[in-house]
Amino acid sequence: MIDFTPVLPAMMLGGVALLVPAVRMLTKSDKATGIASLAGIVASMLLVFYWFYNGSHMAVFENMLRIDAFSALFMLIFLFVALYVVIASLRFVDGLKHTGEYYALVMLATAGMMVVAMSMDLITLFVGIEITSLSSYSLVAFRKKDKLGAEAATKYFIIGGLSSALSLFGISLIYGATGQVNFQAVASAVAALHGMDPVLILAIVMIVAGFGFKVAIVPFQMWAPDVYEGAPTTITAMLASGSKKMGFIALFKVFIIGLVAIKADWSMMIGIVAIATMTLGNVIAISQTSIKRMLAYSSIAQAGYILIVLPIAVVGDPTVAQYGLAGGIFHMMTHAFMKGGAFIIVAGLATAALGEHINDYKGLYRRAPLMAFAMTIMLFSLAGIPPLAGFASKFVLFSGAIYASNLAGEQWLLWLAVAAIINSAISLYYYARVVKYMYLDEGPKDKLKIAPAFGVAVAVCVVAVILIGVFPDPFIQACQEAAKAFFLP
Amino acid sequence: MVYAEYAWLIPILPIIGLLLVALLGKKTPEGGGYFAVGGIAASCFLGVMVALEYLTGGSSEPVSGTMTWLQLNSTLKLEMGYYIDSLSAVMLIVVTILCTLILVYSLGYMHEEGERKRRYYVEISLFVVGMEGLVVASNYLEMFVFWEIMGLCSYLLIGFWYYKPSAAAAAKKAFLVTRIGDILFMIGIISIFASFGTLNYRDLFTHNFIAQPVDMTLLGVGLFCVFGGAVGKSAQFPLHDWLPDAMEGPTTVSALIHAATMVKAGVYLVARSFPLMVHTPDVLLIVAAIGGFTALFAATMALNNPNIKRVLAYSTISQLGYMFLALGAGGYMIATANLSEAAAEMGNAGYMAGMFHLLNHAFFKALLFLSAGAVIHAVHTEDMRLMGGLSKKLKITSFVMLIGALSIAGIPPLSGFWSKDEVLAAVYNAGSANIWFYLLYIMGIVTAFLTAFYMFRLWFMTFKGEGKEATQHAHEAPRSMTVPLIILAIFAFGTGFILMGPDGGLPAVIRTVNLDGHLIAGETLGLGWIEKLFTEWQTWLSIVVAFSGVGLAYMAYFKKSISVDRFATGGSKKVYDLLLARYGFPRAYDWVGMKVVYGFSRAIDFFDRTVIDGVVNVISRFAVSGSGVLRKVQTGVVQTYAIVIVSALSVILILMYLLGGLR
Repeated sequence: MIDFTPVLPAMMLGGVALLVPAVRMLTKSDKATGIASLAGIVASMLLVFYWFYNGSHMAVFENMLRIDAFSALFMLIFLFVALYVVIASLRFVDGLKHTGEYYALVMLATAGMMVVAMSMDLITLFVGIEITSLSSYSLVAFRKKDKLGAEAATKYFIIGGLSSALSLFGISLIYGATGQVNFQAVASAVAALHGMDPVLILAIVMIVAGFGFKVAIVPFQMWAPDVYEGAPTTITAMLASGSKKMGFIALFKVFIIGLVAIKADWSMMIGIVAIATMTLGNVIAISQTSIKRMLAYSSIAQAGYILIVLPIAVVGDPTVAQYGLAGGIFHMMTHAFMKGGAFIIVAGLATAALGEHINDYKGLYRRAPLMAFAMTIMLFSLAGIPPLAGFASKFVLFSGAIYASNLAGEQWLLWLAVAAIINSAISLYYYARVVKYMYLDEGPKDKLKIAPAFGVAVAVCVVAVILIGVFPDPFIQACQEAAKAFFLP
Repeated sequence: MVYAEYAWLIPILPIIGLLLVALLGKKTPEGGGYFAVGGIAASCFLGVMVALEYLTGGSSEPVSGTMTWLQLNSTLKLEMGYYIDSLSAVMLIVVTILCTLILVYSLGYMHEEGERKRRYYVEISLFVVGMEGLVVASNYLEMFVFWEIMGLCSYLLIGFWYYKPSAAAAAKKAFLVTRIGDILFMIGIISIFASFGTLNYRDLFTHNFIAQPVDMTLLGVGLFCVFGGAVGKSAQFPLHDWLPDAMEGPTTVSALIHAATMVKAGVYLVARSFPLMVHTPDVLLIVAAIGGFTALFAATMALNNPNIKRVLAYSTISQLGYMFLALGAGGYMIATANLSEAAAEMGNAGYMAGMFHLLNHAFFKALLFLSAGAVIHAVHTEDMRLMGGLSKKLKITSFVMLIGALSIAGIPPLSGFWSKDEVLAAVYNAGSANIWFYLLYIMGIVTAFLTAFYMFRLWFMTFKGEGKEATQHAHEAPRSMTVPLIILAIFAFGTGFILMGPDGGLPAVIRTVNLDGHLIAGETLGLGWIEKLFTEWQTWLSIVVAFSGVGLAYMAYFKKSISVDRFATGGSKKVYDLLLARYGFPRAYDWVGMKVVYGFSRAIDFFDRTVIDGVVNVISRFAVSGSGVLRKVQTGVVQTYAIVIVSALSVILILMYLLGGLR
């Protein structure tokens, strides 16, 4: 008899996702549909909480999926993202057709991310990614009549298809070279190869390209601004805070566990890609005029920061490696709240008929004081100003690089920290510009009316960002636990 | 311990009040002032309960609870929490009661401020949060956080009427001058951390110096810097000059700064660090010397100042000097006692005297300030030369202010007498350990005389003599202002008597604070001790001095049998003007600020503009222009994107080859 309890949260979310369209059909009420989805998400969350506090780990399906501190933490993050996306959507999709499908797809995408978090081999990993990808293609295209949205969805789908093909190719090359799909088994097989197999090099490149698309690392980032801009803003929030994290988990599992034996071949390449990603993201963000595109580029830059974890987490000293990975996990956690929160604010203001051009934010302080304040918190947190969450997580993340650079043969890692800090300074320019527009510049005087649902969703993010910033310790400990569980065989 | 576990809530409750004021203040009466009062009253209740529970609990072990704030590795661990011992318990009583009374008084005093009331109540609540948090904090870093919150609030509140240039300048001065102290305090904290590897009081105060020796030079420098922080916050020489200017804020703020918060934080800091300071006698000698000198120095400036609030400000500086003097003298006795029980006992008495004087001073100074506020409220001027004969119109105010003046002048049996006498006794006793303390004792006696004189000069000029034009329409303040005054008057009259409680009462409890390894089961104070007090010549000397000060003021300003104008003209005019010019300190500050600091800043500025900005400008020009170029690559054509991906694949392959992949 198979024990299904570990996969229960994901299964339950998938089940509710299938029921939600029926709810929509029976009640004919968008509100009831949204509430039903919320109930499903919260129930799933409670199940994960239960696992998170039990602390044990447990594998199912011949060790294809495993729940442990790492996957539980990420499932919680994904469910939190889904939670505030759905809360914000209550008002955002009001009056549109097919709301049942909308909520169902959001939940299915989340279920896919949860599968990725739990996956222990290349096959389940790929399946999870595809579940999320297919759901998000349709979500981006959700406003069919909207030209920009339809264009974005087409691009997203084409590039997404290309990337899926590349990553599947990479996976099959790994299988071909090692005969294994389980990450641990791949790791020992690669270690036993002694010396370099050119097939593996090709596999590394394919996987970087395939998963790099999800994460939007340079040079696979070009779709991101177009899609982030064209998608419904709540979905943009989900792509930036949920789907992107899923891509990172995939990279972590393949590189840090599976290919650790040949790290000499890829770690410096990843380091260069990380620096290119953060620099390009920040530099292009400066000249953006649309707030959504600006946030999209800033999201690319943040991906560059997180990417430095890959070379750090494979250094020889296990404590340093664990600390470095914990820093990455912590930054992904805070980024989910601050970037998601920023997009939700943009969505809320858009429903109040405010444009998405940065100039439209002039004088926002007088028109919607609480939203302007929340936006300031989010942007300052993204820039890494204490005492906000972004500061705490960047501190842990960058200090991981510095600790690692003290080890013999890893001195070059210091440059990752230097590049990241310089980039943080550059990013302050475009974040602070928005704050200046909101507070110091004159704009229209009329008040904006923000729907309460947005207020709730934004409040969740603001509270999280301030709480994590002021009391980072429990969160850092949780990330340390997750990192520890990640390395367990 | 029912309440003590909730001590961390004490600074949280005013924050709740603050949030309510901020959110609902516009729509509620008095700009939300009732929320602020409610929050502070709730924290007052909790604070007093915690303190009473601790003090009557009979245990001398501190109660503390901490949570980890940030732990990055095994050595760098920062905590947050609360730490209640007899010192913080007594401070809690003083701080929370006074803050509550002053806030209630604010409801009347700030009534006519209109729109700005909301800002006032938000800022003053935060101010109280700063002080309460500082008192219950469990380590130096946490204390520093609240210390800085208070620094910010003092800036905001002193500059409350920011449209007055003098108020804006005063706020800036207070902020910048105390900042010098803050930086020193921070250096001190870092030195303590470097010495001990921890900042928690619990670990620091139980540190075994024999088993784990520390670098005494580093510790000495660190504690000296900590005292530097106290000098800034408590306005001691040479960082004293911001306090008289701080009178530009509303009188309630002045009362809060002088009686319950801000300046008391400095004394509290030194008292808090006492268990460490007793290992460094040199630092304690400096503490005592600065305290004794400031006491006399500030008292002289109060002699001829015509502004009622400024006289009170100088008297605060002077009285704070007494507290530092007592702490320094007591600590010095302990540090050099070499296990002589009698000497250590005298040292403990000095510590007790300093804290006892803080307690008494808090009440009578709040009383004096709020009474002065009532006077100003009535006559709309702060210049005492325009006042006079007010005792008929402001009956309650004049009476309570008389009590305050008698108390600060040290007339028995009011509270000020007891503590001032003990301060002087402690300093005299310390003379046996170091001869310099006899000089400080003489300074203290002279200060006592001057204090009695200028306080009664103030009282006679304000309430007696001929009525002036400004006093024609004066009338008594509303009840929300007089009731706190009466309550404070009762405290100012009576807090001295707690000495006679069982086993020496409250001050004796403070006496045994935390002096690990120096704790001596003291003799019972009680009535026998009082008898001893009145048979010593030092006691009679201070009584005589106090009465002669009052007498001189009576002759000069009530009977007018001595012409005071004589001092303002002729040969002594120079001295008179020097005092009015505050010994030239404001000009010295300006000179240092303009010439030294500004010159230095200009040099740095030049470097910054040409070298640093030059580099930054090049980078940013590159970034901004690069941004424009790179933006054009983003064509929006999906075919381009696919081409980029495929060519990027090849580039990465080549990159990996170059980096040594395909060996």
